Amino acid sequence: MANSNLPRRIIKETQRLLSEPAPGISASPSEDNMRYFNVMILGPTQSPYEALHVEFSAANRLKLCGCMVQPHKALGSWRSPSTSSCGGVFKLELFLPEEYPMAAPKVRFLTKIYHPNIDKLGRICLDILKDKWSPALQIRTVLLSIQALLSAPNPDDPLSENIAKHWKTKEAEAVETAKEWTRLYASGA
Amino acid sequence: MGTKATEELVSTIRSFVGCDFSDMDIIRALHLAKNDPAAAINIILDTPNFISKQKNLTPKTPNPKSKALPYKPPLFVVKDNGNRNSRQNLEFNYVENDAGDNTVDDNGSVSGLVGSEWWFVGSGEVAGLSTCKGRRVKAGDEVDFTFPLKSKSSISPSPSPGKGFGRRRQAATACSEIVRFSTKDSGELGRIPNEWARCLMPLVRDGKVRIMGCCKSAPNVLGIMDAIQLSISVYLNSVMFHKHHQTSLKATANSTEETVGHPLSILFRLLGLTPFKKAEFTPANLNTRKRPLNSKEGSGLPESLLNAKVSKNQYGNGNETENQESISEADLENIVGAGDSSGLEEMDPPSTLQCELRPYQKQALHWMIQLEKGKCMDEAATTLHPCWEAYHLADKRELVVYLNVFSGDATVEFPSTLQMARGGILADAMGLGKTIMTISLLLSHSDKGGLSNSQSGSQLCTGGISSDSSDQNPNQLNKATKFSGFDKLKQKKMLVNGGNLIICPVTLLGQWKAELETHAQPGSLSVYVHYGQSRVEGANFLAQSNVVITTYGVLASEFSAEDAVGNGGLYSVHWFRVVLDEAHTIKSSKSKISIAAAALVADRRWCLTGTPIQNNVEDIYSLLRFLKVEPWENWAWWNKLVQKPFEEGDERGLKLVKSILKPIMLRRTKTSRDRDGRPILVLPPADVQVIYCQLTETEKDFYEALFKKSKVKFDQFVEQGRVLHNYASILELLLRLRQCCDHPFLVMSRGDTQEYSDLNKLAKRFLKGGQIALEGEATNVPSRAYIEEVVEELSKGEKGECPICLEACEDAVLTPCAHRLCRECLLASWRNASSGLCPVCRKTITRQELITVPTDSRFQMDIEKNWVESSKIVALLQELENLRSSGSKSILFSQWTAFLDLLQIPLSRSNISFVRLDGTLNQQQRERVIKQFSEDDSILVLLMSLKAGGVGINLTAASNAFVMDPWWNPAVEEQAVMRIHRIGQTKRVMIRRFIVKGTVEERMEAVKARKQLMISGALTDQEVRTARIEELKMLFT
Repeated sequence: MANSNLPRRIIKETQRLLSEPAPGISASPSEDNMRYFNVMILGPTQSPYEALHVEFSAANRLKLCGCMVQPHKALGSWRSPSTSSCGGVFKLELFLPEEYPMAAPKVRFLTKIYHPNIDKLGRICLDILKDKWSPALQIRTVLLSIQALLSAPNPDDPLSENIAKHWKTKEAEAVETAKEWTRLYASGA
Repeated sequence: MGTKATEELVSTIRSFVGCDFSDMDIIRALHLAKNDPAAAINIILDTPNFISKQKNLTPKTPNPKSKALPYKPPLFVVKDNGNRNSRQNLEFNYVENDAGDNTVDDNGSVSGLVGSEWWFVGSGEVAGLSTCKGRRVKAGDEVDFTFPLKSKSSISPSPSPGKGFGRRRQAATACSEIVRFSTKDSGELGRIPNEWARCLMPLVRDGKVRIMGCCKSAPNVLGIMDAIQLSISVYLNSVMFHKHHQTSLKATANSTEETVGHPLSILFRLLGLTPFKKAEFTPANLNTRKRPLNSKEGSGLPESLLNAKVSKNQYGNGNETENQESISEADLENIVGAGDSSGLEEMDPPSTLQCELRPYQKQALHWMIQLEKGKCMDEAATTLHPCWEAYHLADKRELVVYLNVFSGDATVEFPSTLQMARGGILADAMGLGKTIMTISLLLSHSDKGGLSNSQSGSQLCTGGISSDSSDQNPNQLNKATKFSGFDKLKQKKMLVNGGNLIICPVTLLGQWKAELETHAQPGSLSVYVHYGQSRVEGANFLAQSNVVITTYGVLASEFSAEDAVGNGGLYSVHWFRVVLDEAHTIKSSKSKISIAAAALVADRRWCLTGTPIQNNVEDIYSLLRFLKVEPWENWAWWNKLVQKPFEEGDERGLKLVKSILKPIMLRRTKTSRDRDGRPILVLPPADVQVIYCQLTETEKDFYEALFKKSKVKFDQFVEQGRVLHNYASILELLLRLRQCCDHPFLVMSRGDTQEYSDLNKLAKRFLKGGQIALEGEATNVPSRAYIEEVVEELSKGEKGECPICLEACEDAVLTPCAHRLCRECLLASWRNASSGLCPVCRKTITRQELITVPTDSRFQMDIEKNWVESSKIVALLQELENLRSSGSKSILFSQWTAFLDLLQIPLSRSNISFVRLDGTLNQQQRERVIKQFSEDDSILVLLMSLKAGGVGINLTAASNAFVMDPWWNPAVEEQAVMRIHRIGQTKRVMIRRFIVKGTVEERMEAVKARKQLMISGALTDQEVRTARIEELKMLFT
């Protein structure tokens, strides 16, 4: 099986991801293929993909106080022990190709998301996953970058033309749609 | 008539008329005279405007005063000393009148002549030769002298073509040596004899001397070639003395270019000046001395030295090469002669010496004291140095000028015998206790250091006349006051009187201090170590200590510092005594350190060395120069009488060296015997054995592969006939093979770690890079804080994680942006081999920009993890295991610190505790290591690099030495091993040398043996070269 000659770097990364996961991110390797990771990312606060809902955003300071749910097992270190069952949990898949770390990992959103840089197949437009890949980057840094991308959509370099157009012309409306999608699809169920 | 004949005529005429006339003029005159040269000369000289250039010779307004001058006979024919003063005064009056009245001054010189800087030397009678016809000159007429200009000699126009050119130029050159004289009335009259011209010219040209003259007698009407008697007065410029001294500190090196002939001394002779004190030792003496030397002993002296010299020249590259050429112990004995010194008297050391001296050490003490005494100080101060002559000048100021008959140097300072070598070379073989003998000398005779602050003027380099005015007897004081007038003229550097200065290699600094402290009674000597950044500058401070210890490095750097004399360093002190330990350090006379040592001002000078000659007799020259052994400190004499004959195989050279050294050098060896025929020193026996090792199969494979690769390269060089040109690369090949014999890992050691091993340098490198970039794109530059962090990490020895493999960096490199990665990971991340992006910050970098991270380990791999013992190490461990129970200590020597790195692994694994001493340790660390090794019983092994531990260190705590790898020069090995086999060793000494069979090591041994053969036979240059190639070929068989 491929796992037997897994490079030490991948093993090391995996160990670290499991023992010290990044805030709001969980990644665990598939049992039958150590190069395949199941990933969950919590939508960043103050973004349309936020784990908490608009209802609470009226009182921003209190936004983390309600709607407590059992944290996902893998999300143990979410920066506050709060998440929402009603949205903000995005599933991704990540695959480390044979050439990794000399080549970038392949990452895709499994959860439907309304975002100008992510298409309907979940493919992500992010430079570090393409030409700006560096072997000094890791799974963790890639996922953090994706999380950051949710905070800062970039409609100028779109993958999904329609969404980007929507974003550029009627941002408020687009954000609302994104929130709606989050509620609909990223409920973390 | 042929051109050739014409040319001859032209040059003949030229010699009379001088170069004021062009060839064309002369040919014109010849034509007019129908080729009669005499007639032509007359035509030229008799026709005032024959050419326009003659203008300066045409008479000016006559000088009536000069006619009135009475004729004076030249003074120095008078030898009556009693009347000297009155006579001189007379003469001066004459001069003064002459000069004073004569206000017309073409050259601006005459009125200046009586100024304080011009000293009247004397006058002489000269028979000038008339070159004119029909002119008149009367007795008493003042004559002017025209010195040829240098430039004039070669540019006379050449009207006729081609082949005669060389001859004409010759004539013109000859002409340039002609000094002509003229009167204001009659113009040019004639020329002075060549003898005078030759010695006057350089002196006048350099502004050292000026001359005035007047006619004494002459025929009424001059004809060509008539004799004109002239009286010439010579003035010496006092400035020439000052100049000499001011520049001399750093100009010592130039002395090598001085020639043997000296115009000033010739001039003095021509003037009939006789020294009122003659030199006792003159060049003439040397020549006569040669004969007895010649007839005395037969031959049978080693040619080897000659060969060493010959062969040395060809292999100037690489450090190793230098060491390869050395003089064998036996040859050394032949030259310097471990003379029979058993007859020397003994002298008991003072009670302040807290240890017993052996009889031969007491002899040395007596010998040294005697040598320092020479004559007693007072007497010495007033006795003229035997190489100098003293002349009274005719000047009314009663000037005395001293002239060195060997160097031609002139001075007005009294050159007393104090300047002579007071001291010598203590050249006892290693391990006889030169240090302790020196300490007993310091204790026995060490006036003081800085107790009195009496200052005295003394000059650098001339060695300075004595120093302590309190030491001068009344006679000397008289002299001093007598000439006090000049003292004002001189810019004297005031040097503070100091105590003893000991200069040693940095390795011995601590040992000197320790030995002084243990052997001198507390309070008897104050010791100051002048070393390191914190060393105190201040002549008074330095002078306060009885003993100042410093290193050659400090000496050299203070020497080259600005204002070495005035800045309060070592050169601001007039030392009571200077001792050079391991004095062969200064052997190469052109090196800065050698010049620096010779420039120290001291009354007594000592060289301590077990090897006064290492490569060449020239080595001795440096020592003699430091010791101020005249005349041999003058390169010209040394070269002429010793070096050259020596190199040419003339035995006289060698014999002269012996006779020079005999009185000033003491050398005993361990085999020397006392007057009862017993060995002077009984050491426990030393058991020296070679342990031959056999390579294992895998080692052998590795070695063979490496050997084949190297041999291919070597054979290429042989084919191209460029073996000797590629000597350095061949040595590199050999080096790898030799390392392979120690341990194959060594071959894989990294070469470039040393460059940035200094972390501060590394940090600077980054920050500097940062500054440059600041002007351009500031963003890509690592911040100072980041660099500090990186350097901090490095300095803590943290390996750091490679961002690519996430392991501790292996064979780490630093990018210019200060990111640390494994070399392999980084290079693998690049698409092409030579450049790529920094994986961390994406800055474009090239391979050349990468810096190998300095680490403790010089190996590309983790040697500990992959540890394999080499066959040599196995053999060593066996030996150490055998010794373990006895608790006796061992020293392991290797040339490669990387091998010491490797040795640490098996030692740790076998629980043999060890310490290590190599070149990276500073002085304190070294001292600590040596102390620890000597005192801690649990430490059994000292790892030591051959170079770091070679000299001086006393390691008698150990009784076993293991020489892990053979060195080219057996003397270096021997010196290292002698660290344990020396005075103080009580146990039986065991020395083991490891040689791997069937490898380059074994062949090196053969070459060493062969070399001895080669040395003992006389070989020509070519033969030596062939032999050298053969030797290399042998290594590659």
